Amino acid sequence: MARTRQIFTWLAALFAGLCSAAHVVAGGAAAETCYLDGWGNPLHCYRLPVEGKPETPRLAVMVAPAVHDSGEEPLYLLAGGPGQAASDLAPLLNAFKPINRERDIVMVDRRGSGRSGAFHCGIEDQLSLDLDVFARKLARCYLQRPEFAESLSSRQTVEDLEMVRLRLGHEQIALWGGSWGTRTALLYQQWYPESVSELVLDAVAPIDTKVFLTARAAEEALRTLERDCASDPACARLGDWRGRLDEMLDNWDAGRAPVLPDPLTGKLSGEPMARWEFANAIRTVLYDPGAAAQLPYAITQAHQGNLQPLAGLSGLFLQAAESMSMGLTFSVACAEELNRISAAEVAADSRGTFLGTAFFDLFKHGCRGWPVKEKPYSTPEPREHPVLLISGEADPITPPRYAEVELGYLANRQHLIVASGGHINSARGCIPGLIASFLADPAEALDTTCSGQIGRPPFMVADYGPDIGGVSPQDVEAVGKVSGKEAGQ
Amino acid sequence: MNRLASILRGPGGALLYKEFLEAWRDRRALWMAICFSLMFPVMLAAGSVFMLKKHTEEDTRLALLGAAHAPLLEDRLRGGSLKVDALDGGDPAALLAGDYDIVLSVQDGFAEGYRNFEAPPLYLYIDSSSSAAVRAQRHLQERLGVFRQLVVQQRVIARGVAPQLLAPWHLEVRDVSTPSRRGAMLLAMVPGLLILTLFVASLATSVDTSAGERERLSLETLLLQPLPAWQVILAKTLAVASMGWAGALLALVALVSLMPLMPLAELGIQQATTASGVLTMGLLLLPLALLVAVVQILLALRSRSFKDAQTQLSILQVAPVVLLMMLDMSRAELGGFLWQLVPLVGQQQWLKALLVGETVPLMTLLAGSGATLLLVAVAIRFGATALQRESLLSAA
Amino acid sequence: MIEVDAISKEFAGRPVLRDLDFRVPDGRITALLGANGAGKTSCLRIIAGLLRPDAGTVRVGGIDVARDPLGVRRQLGVVGDREGLYERLTVEEYLTLFARIQGITGTALRQSLDDVRRELELEPLWKRRTRGFSQGERMKVSLARALVHRPQHLILDEPTRGLDVLAARLLRRTLLRLRDAGTTILFSSHVMSEVLELSDTVLVMAAGRVVGSGAPQALMREAGCSNLEDTFVALAYGERRVQGGGVPA
Repeated sequence: MARTRQIFTWLAALFAGLCSAAHVVAGGAAAETCYLDGWGNPLHCYRLPVEGKPETPRLAVMVAPAVHDSGEEPLYLLAGGPGQAASDLAPLLNAFKPINRERDIVMVDRRGSGRSGAFHCGIEDQLSLDLDVFARKLARCYLQRPEFAESLSSRQTVEDLEMVRLRLGHEQIALWGGSWGTRTALLYQQWYPESVSELVLDAVAPIDTKVFLTARAAEEALRTLERDCASDPACARLGDWRGRLDEMLDNWDAGRAPVLPDPLTGKLSGEPMARWEFANAIRTVLYDPGAAAQLPYAITQAHQGNLQPLAGLSGLFLQAAESMSMGLTFSVACAEELNRISAAEVAADSRGTFLGTAFFDLFKHGCRGWPVKEKPYSTPEPREHPVLLISGEADPITPPRYAEVELGYLANRQHLIVASGGHINSARGCIPGLIASFLADPAEALDTTCSGQIGRPPFMVADYGPDIGGVSPQDVEAVGKVSGKEAGQ
Repeated sequence: MNRLASILRGPGGALLYKEFLEAWRDRRALWMAICFSLMFPVMLAAGSVFMLKKHTEEDTRLALLGAAHAPLLEDRLRGGSLKVDALDGGDPAALLAGDYDIVLSVQDGFAEGYRNFEAPPLYLYIDSSSSAAVRAQRHLQERLGVFRQLVVQQRVIARGVAPQLLAPWHLEVRDVSTPSRRGAMLLAMVPGLLILTLFVASLATSVDTSAGERERLSLETLLLQPLPAWQVILAKTLAVASMGWAGALLALVALVSLMPLMPLAELGIQQATTASGVLTMGLLLLPLALLVAVVQILLALRSRSFKDAQTQLSILQVAPVVLLMMLDMSRAELGGFLWQLVPLVGQQQWLKALLVGETVPLMTLLAGSGATLLLVAVAIRFGATALQRESLLSAA
Repeated sequence: MIEVDAISKEFAGRPVLRDLDFRVPDGRITALLGANGAGKTSCLRIIAGLLRPDAGTVRVGGIDVARDPLGVRRQLGVVGDREGLYERLTVEEYLTLFARIQGITGTALRQSLDDVRRELELEPLWKRRTRGFSQGERMKVSLARALVHRPQHLILDEPTRGLDVLAARLLRRTLLRLRDAGTTILFSSHVMSEVLELSDTVLVMAAGRVVGSGAPQALMREAGCSNLEDTFVALAYGERRVQGGGVPA
């Protein structure tokens, strides 16, 4: 791969997919005006001191004040990853304008992320294709701040959120969690049920679900893509692209592996692509339906030796990777997820999937060099809070079945499944409006029919992009060239 | 205080009582004041509702000719505020004259041109003389722009290029206004209208109590009484100001009561007017009401007849509002302390600030109101002299 | 006593009063007889302090009008050439207003209101607003207003103009009763019969001057006329100045 930093792209586990690096302009003391990229209006920003070691930063808290403060509970946005900063969710505020009219929206960068002392390892440029080398470099990062790594956990984040809630004088708060943020929200709900009013969980990672076992989920997402492609006449003409993908994965020859051109510079440099990289690239593309719609064509081309579409697709995910704090990602993932996954489970999950253990191996190796203590959760207790669950039908990491299977303890839950949807759907179509309605009247069952109009973006079927219809290419050949210009205009 | 009480118990009080009785028993003047005071808040509220409706709910009807040449285009254009009707054919001019705001024509061969990267034309028919044309064109451009971006992105990705290369930089807009200040645009006309309400609500009463009394010859009777002339002018000023002030207060209360009905939040505006702000606004209008009243009375006394007085005062009530609007439009820097001492200008600035929930320094309020009251005193003094002019009497 | 000493007045360069001199004795009714434009109203307005003379002085009850106009107005009742009512006030409110303006309060206020109500037969009108009153009713209210503070001096400008028989009769009776009670009354008129019937003294005005004064009978006698009208014409237009005794000019 041309740019080693792209490796981290494939590492992105449960990020909320609203990638935009954010910068707080004003720092310092309490309640200053500041801005985040992706949202043009001023925010109230706080720096709250937290308990702990001297190296522990002050917590960055950013509040988008309600246009009209009607006393409704504020909505706290909990970011994914683990490792994504809540301040990166600022672009979501555009979609959440109807919610922001009456409610404050609060973003807290958890410790080790974003503006609260992001725990970067600084090894992105030195990443190696060799997983063992990667693990060694990660271990060096860990050894520089072992206590900090140990201190980072969901428990700590929830305690910090509770502290923020009290400091801001909020009696009860509504939670929006995206991806891993749903885990934080569900734990908050377990530990401080009195503090929470409602929850909106998009791409839910239930407490008992081992979300780092992603092979089967990714396979399901790919099969949904196959199904959708097959029912689209233009995409169907691409033929058995899935078969070609399997063929490529089955016959991967490390020695003759292709070199992906850099999507930014167009240069062919760097090392050839590893099989696990290729599989992870496919998996990552499935997060976003817009990107996934280009996958059948990109695979077809890759099979013919043209890697450019795949390189171009990878370019879509460059920024998302940069927003992750790797140290935080591994601290939480190793202590709270990897610790409870057995080899048998990995084998069962990866069997018969295109991804296999390609994603899991990265974390398995990484956690060897990141020896934090395991921090298990207790069994969740029943909760009565109204909960809105949102899933994408073709989400490669938190498929809809997670929300169906492991959340029986939530007495008042509604589940909205976005047909052909990917990972995180809160900003799409009518869903912001549905979230606003849910928050306004959580007891009412939502009429979710409008989400059916979201649909999958048009498939890329050729180098000209989507098939715009009209006379098909085959017909054109039969009829011959037709003038496209209108005479006399 | 005792002195005030004794004045109120004595002849001055009797006169004041008479002026108030006369002012508030004038049904015509009272109705005029009430109607105007309620009219502008209601119009403002209705206007903002209408504005939002127009802004958000108005659909554009698009006639798509030749949709069969590009079914995906039709599919991607649908949605949002664009209502698409795919038609087999038709005359664009006739369609525009009928139900459609805009007509998009896809020609035979469009799809082939698209596939061959020939950038085939789409023909957009508009009627630029129609008020809907600009909005309709914007709606279409929005939808078409999204689809265009999708195609461009797929095309560059197909060539191994990250779409971000098409954006050499990203412009981040940072709006330094606060939601409450954003209301200033919508509410900008309110101070002027409140001040106009003062003028309009007291107009009929001021003409009646001066030119009217003179024409009915009761002024002469009044001048025959053992009363200092300044007391006569003051009593009239107070009565007239009470009407103007009440009108302005009514308008203010109506406005604030209607604010919850206005779609301010939908327009991104925070309703920030506070109770104490409303109270302050009410109080700061009082000195101005007095000034308006006394100036109106002086002008009406100068005029030759009742009708003449009405005409003159009608001009007077427009003049200051036009002046304020001109000052506003000229973007003159009115923040200086000396400006705060100028009647009308000061009050307009304070009302503007209080409406969006900001505070005005107490010293500024007191100094500015003091300056206005000083002017009222001068005008009353002047009026007392004017009352002694012999030309006020009817021809012998 | 009203003393008018050598007053002159011009309006826009046109002389209206020229060196006017006369006295109005206490306890008498004095008529100011003159044609329209003779200067009667201007003269009365100067006495009331509404106009300032260009020259000369006016004293009412010994008080100089120019020096203390408010003092003069306290002992002066004026009924103007038109009534000057407030149409949106009731008779009671109207009279209360002027009584209070004259400084009458408490029981005295009630007393004086009761008096004028009875004397001028205002009972049926008392609670009504004055809008739509007949000429006679308006005169009664206006007279009541001029009398409510029991002034020593009463000035009336053509008081019987437009009155019906009954109202004119009430007015005349009231004026006579006031004279008998000692009030000094000065009224202007150009109606000969009225002047003859009411006045103890007549001042004949022409072109801004007093051209004759004295008791009506004495004036007629001196002019050698059998009626007041002929006497007035002779005095006003005959350029003859007659001194009928009584009032020194």
